[in-house]
Amino acid sequence: MDYFVLGYYTLLIGASCLAAYYQQRPIFMLLFSITLVSFVMGIIGGKEALWTTTVVAASIGLAAGTSYGFREFLINISGRETQKMLRTAPLTASFGMFIIFTYAIMGIFAPVIAPYGEAEVIGGAFDPPDENMLLGADQLGRDMFSRIVYGARNTVGLALMATGAAFVMGAMAGMLAAVKGGWFDQLMGRTADVIMSVPSLIFALLLLSIFGTNLTVLVVIVAVIYAPRVFRLTRAVAGNVVVMDYIEAAKLRGEGTWYLIRKEILPNSTAPLIAEFGLEFCFVFLLLAGLSFLGLGIQPPTADWGSMVRENATLISFGEITPLIPAAAIALLTVAVNFVVDWMLYRSSGLKT
Amino acid sequence: MTEKKEILLKIRDLRIEGYSDEKWIEIVHGVDLTLRRGEVMGLIGESGAGKSTIGLAAMGFARDGCRISGGSVEFDGLELTTTAEEDLRALRGNRIAYVAQSAAASFNPAHKLIDQHTEAPVYYRIRKRMEAQEDAMELYERLRLPNPREIGFRYPHQVSGGQLQRAMTAMAMACRPDLIIFDEPTTALDVTTQIEVLAAIRDIVDQFNTAAIYITHDLAVVAQMADTIKVLLKGNEVEEAPTAEMLENPKEEYTKSLWAVRSFKRPQKPRPTSEEPVVSVQNVDAAYGPVKVLDDVSFDVYSGMTVAVVGESGSGKSTTARVITGLLPPTTGRVLFKGEELPPNYRSRTKDQLRQAQMIYQMADTALNPKVQIHEIIGRPAQFYGGLKGAALKSRIDELLDLIELEPAKYFHRYPPELSGGQKQRIGIARALAAEPTFIICDEVTSALDQLVAEGILKLLDRLQKELNLAYMFITHDLATVRSIADEVVVMKQGKVVEQGPKDVMFTPPHHPYTDLLLSSVPEMDPNWLTTLLEERGVDNIGEAADK
Amino acid sequence: MKDVLIIVLKRLGLGLITLFVISILIFGAVELLPGDIAEAVLGQGATEENVAAMRKQLGLDRPAPVRYLDWLSGAVVGDFGNSLVSGSNVSEVIAPRFANTLFLAAYAAVIAVPLAIILGVIVALLRNSVFDRVANVLTLTSISSPEFFLGYILILYLSVKTGYFPAIAKLSSDMSLLEVLHRTFLPALTMVLVVMAHMMRMTRAAIINLLASPYIEMARLKGTPAWKVIVKHALPNAWAPIINVVALNLAYLITGVVLVEVVFVYPGIGQLLVDAVTKRDFPVVQACCLVFAATFILLNLAADVGSILTNPRLRHPK
Repeated sequence: MDYFVLGYYTLLIGASCLAAYYQQRPIFMLLFSITLVSFVMGIIGGKEALWTTTVVAASIGLAAGTSYGFREFLINISGRETQKMLRTAPLTASFGMFIIFTYAIMGIFAPVIAPYGEAEVIGGAFDPPDENMLLGADQLGRDMFSRIVYGARNTVGLALMATGAAFVMGAMAGMLAAVKGGWFDQLMGRTADVIMSVPSLIFALLLLSIFGTNLTVLVVIVAVIYAPRVFRLTRAVAGNVVVMDYIEAAKLRGEGTWYLIRKEILPNSTAPLIAEFGLEFCFVFLLLAGLSFLGLGIQPPTADWGSMVRENATLISFGEITPLIPAAAIALLTVAVNFVVDWMLYRSSGLKT
Repeated sequence: MTEKKEILLKIRDLRIEGYSDEKWIEIVHGVDLTLRRGEVMGLIGESGAGKSTIGLAAMGFARDGCRISGGSVEFDGLELTTTAEEDLRALRGNRIAYVAQSAAASFNPAHKLIDQHTEAPVYYRIRKRMEAQEDAMELYERLRLPNPREIGFRYPHQVSGGQLQRAMTAMAMACRPDLIIFDEPTTALDVTTQIEVLAAIRDIVDQFNTAAIYITHDLAVVAQMADTIKVLLKGNEVEEAPTAEMLENPKEEYTKSLWAVRSFKRPQKPRPTSEEPVVSVQNVDAAYGPVKVLDDVSFDVYSGMTVAVVGESGSGKSTTARVITGLLPPTTGRVLFKGEELPPNYRSRTKDQLRQAQMIYQMADTALNPKVQIHEIIGRPAQFYGGLKGAALKSRIDELLDLIELEPAKYFHRYPPELSGGQKQRIGIARALAAEPTFIICDEVTSALDQLVAEGILKLLDRLQKELNLAYMFITHDLATVRSIADEVVVMKQGKVVEQGPKDVMFTPPHHPYTDLLLSSVPEMDPNWLTTLLEERGVDNIGEAADK
Repeated sequence: MKDVLIIVLKRLGLGLITLFVISILIFGAVELLPGDIAEAVLGQGATEENVAAMRKQLGLDRPAPVRYLDWLSGAVVGDFGNSLVSGSNVSEVIAPRFANTLFLAAYAAVIAVPLAIILGVIVALLRNSVFDRVANVLTLTSISSPEFFLGYILILYLSVKTGYFPAIAKLSSDMSLLEVLHRTFLPALTMVLVVMAHMMRMTRAAIINLLASPYIEMARLKGTPAWKVIVKHALPNAWAPIINVVALNLAYLITGVVLVEVVFVYPGIGQLLVDAVTKRDFPVVQACCLVFAATFILLNLAADVGSILTNPRLRHPK
């Protein structure tokens, strides 16, 4: 038994006792269950397992600290209404906002941040990390780190564009259908049903096999596949607004469709629509990543996270984590957006009751 | 008052908090209550008075997001606030039972009525399953449910609302509890259905000598049911007194104002002889798909006069309004406006035709766009029809706000959610006035409001009618409102006009049988009203009369 | 019961119509090719004669509706024509691979469905507790991760570093069932992780929604014990939402399998589809898409019929 193991258990048990003494039941339960799990893990996995636990706990702590700091930062720089809203944000949500913020910076200032160009060959294939290349080289000897940074711009940019297109189409159609009703509503609804009854990835593959792979085609295909989903939600949200008496009053006043959408429906649907944008972005982002991973998305030499996983996949069998890094980059952003969306949905549902 | 019975429920300094905006806020501020065995206490108050919360607290229960934060609730010597949840549970359904407002939602759709009825007595081992079923049928019979031996084997959605409410009362009686909490049991029902449920509840509580807390916002109802009345306002007790005393001689100002509400009455105006009607509905039939909802409806509305259209839910009164506004084109018949036929669909009407007929809605919450400022809500019709802009528009908005007795400077930039219910309804009126109409449809405009506020709205509407010579079509199910504001009355039932005429004629006998049923079913303040009425009608045919 | 039958039949009819429209869509999409199939497959370097010969071989000289009917009548009896690349019969290629895919999906479903529903109900009952919050973060993370990320992590830790399971799920006919289950454990686990998270969240939401209904409050006010509230009052009304959750996720399993198959080189229909797309082997692409779409529609149909049959209001009409 060395000092690390001793210190590990002392700290855990000491902290749980403190929590118990101050009657912090959830914290105590959490700490003590970690202690129990550690006993088992320590026996099976030895010191290494405990070390892993420590690292994980430390990174969660670090993430929590950063999120807390970032939330305070946001509260300090924002206006009164936003402040009140931000104070209710759980740490997961501010963690999400922090990650989104970081990715945005990375994407916008990619050429400044990345030490090398995205297609620049500077070393041998699969060179290990050194002082030049933070994360080593890929299968062609390009700097992994630079490509990840550029990937933020390419992958996220494409997903944003596609989501935006799907959103504009779906939301407009949804609100029009809600206001117009009748055959237009029926037609749009049935069309959406049909498109949605083909699984999205399969539909994308079918269309890609026909139109080939280029950026415009990708954006259009994704927009066509996801617009019906946005349509459905917008139709439902707008449907709830349309039955309100103020819409009837406006209709009876003789207002036109455009006025109804702009002045009456849109202001009352923004909250769920923003949350939906986040959700759709996640779906689109994962779909595009999947297509890239299959070699049917953004084409080389453009840096793209999904393709990077595919290109470096062989490294996995040598126990290297390199291909996991771009995959983790995808997961991290999706998690971040989902955290924020989850909070927004919780807020909007909590306010109703 | 000869002998004091044993005290069953003793609540002292009860405080309850509710969780909103991330903090706990006290909503009941120290209420006392004493209930003796076999007594019925009426809890009365407007929405937000804390009636239901107190009722549930009497069972040691707080809804999610509420908690009992102080005081004591003593039931038959047992202190409920400190009793363990398990022991509290053993009281509920057994010694204290609950009857909810909406029976349709409170019965589980997946089980037969009788299975839900027998659940508690079987669980508490008070009766065996078969005995409990037998007992249920007997209770159904006592509550005068039709086919008492068979009705329990139906599912909730197969039974009508009034019957469900009685079945729920039977269920509450299953274990012969010492105390029943009735939480607005007749609020969701029509007046004619309400009578039978009230009568059934009163009888059964009497027969088993059960103590009850009867929660309602309707004074006349509580007058029939309760021995003592407690008046609540915003989580505080206003006063408590035996029913007769409370009705005759209320002490507090607030209570007096509640009692005085129905006093507003304006003189009836005669129908002008030479003039053409503003709106004339002629032989209108209408249908939703294959279902016919209006059958040969005709009536006229003259300028400066109020026509009240009365009926229970499903009578077609709101549909008539939809036909007049053009939202639902009639299948046959026509609507004339100042002698000119209106296009059946609102889309084909001219801007001027749309302007002349305006509407005020029941729910001010849904009638005003919550994301638009008051000045825009009121200003839009003036801008849209009158083409007003800039300073002219602003002064018109100020003028309208003055007209509805709201201070322009204060409300100009507010949003609807920042206003009270009555203020919102006033904004709704201002929006209608902004179009400078000649005819306004008022759809149940006061039924969502507390009584005092409703009174204010009625007075305002009356004043505006005199000043602007408006014609009103007043849709309502509340005969008190009809008495106070109408000149002429149209009674509707199942899409047909049953009877129509000037108010004084309509309110003096002889009546059409349905009008008579409707009129006599409206609860009156007199504590003996229900008893007298039941005697007059003969107990046995109440259900029959109402089912027709 | 007669009304229910009519509703169910109507729903089945709607499903058939949808499938029909989708078959038009799948066939019509290929018609949208710039030029035609022959040009697209042979590329720009092809001579006029070659293209003409291929057109003739594929019968492209006939009008599109005729060819569609031809294709559809073949598809109905399981004949999708021949592959453009290998020339072999498409159905013969697809059938064994589709069986593999179904096996993998069933494997994952058997683990995921009961676990997810039980955990979902538990989380719903413990809502807003620490356990619920941790579960919320974990499921969100799992949902947010691309399948290949989870797949490679599992390969790295359970295969490369420890050697518990094989990283590549190649099958051969002489394997015992136990061997097959061991081989396909990692792909199945990957799908379990994703689908379980989805299902847990949906079950939780459905149960919480249900627990807010007035009849649940009534049951509590009748003194019904907590377990009985769940079993007797909540569960009979929870079937419809739970059936929906399960069917939706099974559908997801069938289609989300594509990426997992590629990661683990599993000989399923997804892998085949991806290959066919890269090689522009249209008959295979069309056939795969139709099979996927049909499965998807069938599962949604099953969910709808299931919720109709369990709805007490419809089972016991007035």
